[in-house]
This record gives sequence, structure tokens and C-alpha cells, in this order.
Amino acid sequence: MGEVFDLQLINTALRQATPLILAALGGLMSERTGVINIGLEGKILMGAFAGAYGALLTGSPWVGLGCAILIGLLFALLHAVATQEFRTDHVVSGVAINLLALGLSTYLFRQLILPREERGLSSVVRGFTPFQADWLVRVPILGALLKDQTWLVLFAVVLPFALFWVLNQTRWGLRVYAVGNDAVKARTMGVPVKRVRYVGVLLSGVLAGIAGAFLTLASADQFRENMSAGRGFIALAALIFGRWHPLGAAAAAFGFGFFEALQMRLQGQPLFGVQLPTDLLLMLPYLLTVIALAGSFGKMKPPSDLGNP
Amino acid sequence: MKTFRLNPSSRTWMQRLLNALMGAGVLFGTLTLLIALAGQPIGASYRILLQGAIGFPPSEQMTPLDAWDGVLHDMTLLLLTGLSVGLALQAGLFNIGAAGQLLMGALIAAWLGVQQGIPSSLHLPLTLLAGAFAGALWALVPALLKVWRGAHEVITTIMFNYIALYLTHWLVVEYLKDPAGAAPQTAPVRASAQLPPLGNFIATSWGIVLTVVIAMLLWAILYRTVWGYETRATGANRDAADAAGIPTRRRILEAMLLAGALAGLAGAIEVCGSQYRFFEGFPSEYGFDGIAVALMGANHPAWTTLTAFALGALRNGAYNLHVVTGAPKEIAMIVQAVLILYVAALRLRRGRLEG
Repeated sequence: MGEVFDLQLINTALRQATPLILAALGGLMSERTGVINIGLEGKILMGAFAGAYGALLTGSPWVGLGCAILIGLLFALLHAVATQEFRTDHVVSGVAINLLALGLSTYLFRQLILPREERGLSSVVRGFTPFQADWLVRVPILGALLKDQTWLVLFAVVLPFALFWVLNQTRWGLRVYAVGNDAVKARTMGVPVKRVRYVGVLLSGVLAGIAGAFLTLASADQFRENMSAGRGFIALAALIFGRWHPLGAAAAAFGFGFFEALQMRLQGQPLFGVQLPTDLLLMLPYLLTVIALAGSFGKMKPPSDLGNP
Repeated sequence: MKTFRLNPSSRTWMQRLLNALMGAGVLFGTLTLLIALAGQPIGASYRILLQGAIGFPPSEQMTPLDAWDGVLHDMTLLLLTGLSVGLALQAGLFNIGAAGQLLMGALIAAWLGVQQGIPSSLHLPLTLLAGAFAGALWALVPALLKVWRGAHEVITTIMFNYIALYLTHWLVVEYLKDPAGAAPQTAPVRASAQLPPLGNFIATSWGIVLTVVIAMLLWAILYRTVWGYETRATGANRDAADAAGIPTRRRILEAMLLAGALAGLAGAIEVCGSQYRFFEGFPSEYGFDGIAVALMGANHPAWTTLTAFALGALRNGAYNLHVVTGAPKEIAMIVQAVLILYVAALRLRRGRLEG
């Protein structure tokens, strides 16, 4: 039974965590500017569909990735316009976006991909080539962690540090901080509040789109109905658990990915002589987030002036 | 199309009419576009939609009673979850957790429904009450966290939806499974715990009547009692309500518990009046539809009732279109999402939704 924890488990955890990290950081970019973003789930789902369909039509995963980013941007733009121009409640807009994405991706799947299958064409996508014989794989520990992974995993590992630097060391990071904490004051100081928020929300669309593309281009090889399966909400949980900090959010997302990997590895086997029900393991990220919210830290940081452009 | 009004209730009749007409335009525009993109003839598709929605014009596969049965069944669930979300919004809370509350209510009702030894005249009311109680309990923790710690109820109720999903799945697989079969579902509830159908001509249960009565009661509570006034005042402006001496924490807590009870009751009615058991993959998405219903119904029980009926008709119409022509049944979902965005863009927002 000591075979449960090994490098392969961490390898799987990284793979499971990658879409969560990307989406959580996307959510972070939006929420740090003060725009609540519960539409991550929908953007992941649309990204997964666009990624699969783009790659299916052209045979190139890069085109798929481009399509996923584009559709993520489009849905993010919808959220940005609704919240910034029409001053819609952020949560309502997010709910509508999730519903729209679930309906639209399934509708398009039935209209565009299923008829292809009925004609006998495969809907399996040519995804990104994983590391197999590269020099990376021959590095002792790193190799075992990255074996059979794609560059997107590396991207998800590096991105939190890059965002940490951007948010803390650049002028733009300072502006995000100002807008997210007191938009009125920021505006008085001459910060273009609306533009900062647009950029934040659009970035969340890009990252959630990439997270979706990862599902079809680096993980599952084909699109299925509602395949995001709640990842957008786990990412949201990771974002809160990580207290809106890029490294914290990424660490929490990795932790939640680890639970998934552990659950896949155990498959109902006992761990240390205890039978852990799969459902309870899957429940853990949500439960931990509620506990974190109940604790002394983790107060939600709502947009300071919700609705004013 | 920007409206910069401080107080939407000062809208004139003209503007409201215009908004409604534009809403109808958005609805039929989206619907027509989706039908056309699915490669279906538009006129014939609308006829099939109407057959599913109101049973007119009658056809051989779909009699008016079949259609009304489907619509009333959906209306029951949509109305209860819509009232749940709407009531919480009246108190200034966004209850995204109706789906989880519905699941807990359904599971507890299914559990109590199979128990022996309960007097048969009490079995049904007890089962429904237990479902409502379970839903209220599931809303309690998010409500307490909101009141005590300021934790955003949107986040906690989303988390509780997933916790409910996995918890009910675990319980139904491990402990409550019908020993007579291998399927992950409970045994059917006893006859004494079943909601009887409205008549031998229609399968819809008395749940619809119960639900409409509850909607009327809720209207009376919200608009004709001090409690309702204080709850609405809390939602409109919590600071002002505090200053006026209203115990806003209590009102928020009570409204959220009642909202949870309504969603839990929806689950119980679905079990006792339609499914007769709890099973893996129990339809909880009605909880999310409740958000659309409440929003379009402006959180007012009367409008919510009307919206629940309309969306129930839309869903069944789209489903009929799917069955007859093979067009994707997600058409209803997309239209619903577009309608939410439209209504939300009109600034019918939380706390000031009385129109």
C-alpha cells in the first residue's frame, strides 16, 4: 500500500491541476480589479469546445488553442460590457454566461461535431505532443514529473510567478491594486478604472479559454457535453482559498488537483487501512473552502463600487 | 440602450411596455435564429414548439393534456426554486444554492418516504416537511457565515451545491440504495407518502396546487406583514434598515432559511409527486433555473408564478421540437440565458426589484 505516493502521483496531480491553475489565475485577474467572475466554468467549457473544433477542422492544436482563446475573449467581453456598460449585477451576468455556455456548447456539439461522427469521421483531436524523449524527461526528478505532459503544464507552473511579478512590480499591477481596493479613489487619482477592469476581465477569458483548450488538446482528445464538469467552480474555490494571491491560488489549485489525482489512484482502495469514499475526497476542495471562509481569513473582497462605470 | 435611472420604480408605463416588447423581440429573435441555425423550417418549428408548450394546435403525438402535464410539472419546480431565489433576493442575498438545497430535500424525502410505521395520514405531510427542513438546514450554514463572518453567500452556496452533490451521491450509493436492485437509487416511496395526481386524466400531482398556494402565501407574508416589510427593507438598504431598528441579521437569517425550505420542498415534491425515489443524477439543475425565474419575475410572487409557467412552456416546447425534429433541446437553455442577460441589463437588480 506504500505504492500510493510516488512521483507518478505528482505527475497526475500536475495534469489535473493545470486547468484549475489557469482558470483560477484568470479569475484572479478579474476579481483583483473588482469584477466578480463566476463565469469561469462557462468560459472553460466554450474554450474546450472551440479548441476541439478548431483542431478538428485544421488538424493543428495551435489553431485550436487560438480558437479557444478567441471564444474565451468573446465571452469575457460579454461579461465586461454587461458589468461595465450596462451595470449588470456581476453574479447575474456570470450565471447567465455559464448557462449560455452550457447551452451553446452542447447545441454546437450536436450541430457541428455529432453529424461528422455520423458520417464516420473521427472526432478525436490531434492535441499537443507530450514530452517523451526530450532532454527534459532525462533530468532525474523533473523528468518523472513532466513525462507525458505538454508545454501547457509548464506554462501553468511558470504563470503564477509571472503574474506575481506583474502584480507587484509593474505600474499596471499597482493600478489593478488601486482599482480593486478603492475604485473611487483610483479614479480621482487619474487611473482609467474602466480600462483596467476591461483588461482584467478579458485576461480571465483568455486564461479560462486556455484552461478549456487544455482539456481537449492535452488531456481528453475530444469534446464531450459539459466536460468542464465544475472545474470553473473548483478554480473559484482555489482562488478564494488562496486569498486572491497568485501563488496562493496556484498552490490551492495544485492541492485540489492532488485530491483528484489521489482519488483516481485510490479508486476505492483503502489508504493507510482506512476506506476513503471517493465522493468525500471529491467534496474536500469545496468543504475546505467553506471552512477557510468561516475562519479568520478569507473575507470576500467585493468590488468597492459595484456598478459605477 | 442605457438607462441611468436612480429609481427604476419611477419608470413610466410607456417604458415598461417598450421593455416588454423588446424582451419579446429578444426572445423570438433568439429562438428564430437558433431554429434556423439548426436547419429547421421556422413556421413548422414554431407549430411544434407551441404543441409542446400549450398543446395547441393538437397533434397525434402530443395531446393538449400531455403538453399541460409536462408544463405543470416543470412549473412546479421552477416556481418553488424561483420563489426561493426571489425571497432571498428580497432580503438582499443571492441564493445560488437552490440546487443543493433541492437535492438535500429530495434525498431526505426519499428516505422518509420509504420508512414503515408512520401513520399513513401523516406520512405525506411529514415527508414534505422533512424535505423542506433539510433544504432549510442546507441554507443555514451559508446564512450563518454571511451574518457572522461576512462570507459572500454566492461563494458559500456554490460550494454547498457541490458538497450536496457528492454527499447525496455517497449516501445513495453506500447507505440508502434499494437492496432489491443494483442501480444507485432508493426504493420507491410508499403509497402513503405519494402526492396523488390531479385526476385520472393527468399525471401532474397536487404539488402544483400546493406550490401556487405557497406563492400566494408568500405574497401575503412579503407585502402584508411587518416581517415582510422588514425583510424587504433589509434587502433594499441594510444600513438604513439597521438605523431604523430592524434586526437585519435575524431577517437575513430567516429569509435564507425560508428560501432553503422552498428549494428543499421542490425536491420533496419531485420525489413524492413525480419520481417516487432519489437516484444518482437526480435533476438538480432546476435550482439554477430558479435564478432565471426569480430575476424575470422581479422577485414578486405573482410575476414569478407567471414566469415559471412561461419558462416551463418554453422548456417543454423546445423539448417537443427536439423529440419531433431532432433539433438540439438546448435551445431553451440558450434562450433562457439570453433573457437573463437582457433583464439584468435593464438594471432590475437585487434590492430594488419592485417594479
